[in-house]
Amino acid sequence: MAKKDFEITNNIRTLRFFAEEMTQQQLAEKVGASRQTIIAVEAGKYSPSLELAFRIADAFGRPIGEVFEYKKLEA
Amino acid sequence: MSYSEKRTIVSILVGIVVLASYCFYVYGKVKAGVAESDNIKFWAGAMLIFVGIGIISSIIIQIVFHILLSMSMAVREQIATGQSDGKKIEKMIASEMVTDEMDKLVELKSLRVGFAIAGVGFMTALIFAYLGHSPAVMLNIMFVSFSVGSIIEGFSTIFYYRRGVTRG
Repeated sequence: MAKKDFEITNNIRTLRFFAEEMTQQQLAEKVGASRQTIIAVEAGKYSPSLELAFRIADAFGRPIGEVFEYKKLEA
Repeated sequence: MSYSEKRTIVSILVGIVVLASYCFYVYGKVKAGVAESDNIKFWAGAMLIFVGIGIISSIIIQIVFHILLSMSMAVREQIATGQSDGKKIEKMIASEMVTDEMDKLVELKSLRVGFAIAGVGFMTALIFAYLGHSPAVMLNIMFVSFSVGSIIEGFSTIFYYRRGVTRG
C-alpha cells in the first residue's frame, strides 16, 4: 500500500466547544451520522465523504476549509 | 462501545456457537458410525440444518439484544433523570441504530476479508477433492471455511471500527 503523503486534520473539537459545548451525539444527529462516525472523524481515524464534510461544516455554520485542513507531508 | 460493535460481537458469538455445535454434532455421529464419508445426503442435511439454526438463532438473538438494549437505555434514563420518557428513549435508540457511510465502508472492507477466507477454503476443498479425498471432506472444508470467514468478518468489523477505516 502506498504511504500517504498528506494528512487531513480537523477542528471539530474546538468548534463543538464554541458551539456551546455541543455533544458528539448532537452533532451526529444534526448531520445524520452515527456518534461513532463523529468520534472517528474527530480523532482523524476516518476521512468523511465530501458530502458529510460539508454537512459537518454546515452544522457549525462555517466554510469547509475552517473545519477540515489538508496538509501535505514532507517526504 | 457502540451499537454496531455490540451487534457484531453478538453475531460473532452466534457464529462460534453454531460452528462448535456443528463440530460436536458431526463428531458424535462419526464416532457412532452413523456418518459415513460417502453418505453425502447425511452431510448435506446436517449442514442445511446448522445453516438454518444459525440464521434463526441469529434473528432471535438480534431481537433479544435489541430488547435488552432498549431496556438498558430506559433504566439508564430513569436513573439519570428520574423519569423514563418513551419518545426520548425511542429517539435515543434510533440515533444509536443509524447506519451511515462509515458503517457501509466498514461492512464492505470486512466482507472482503470474509470472502477471501471463504475463497481460500473453497480452493482448499477443490484441491482435497482433486487429491482423491471423499466429497464429505470437501463439503466440510467448505462449510467450516465459510463459517470461519463469517466469524473473521465480524472480527475485522470490530478491528475497523476501533482502528479507523480509510478509503482505497
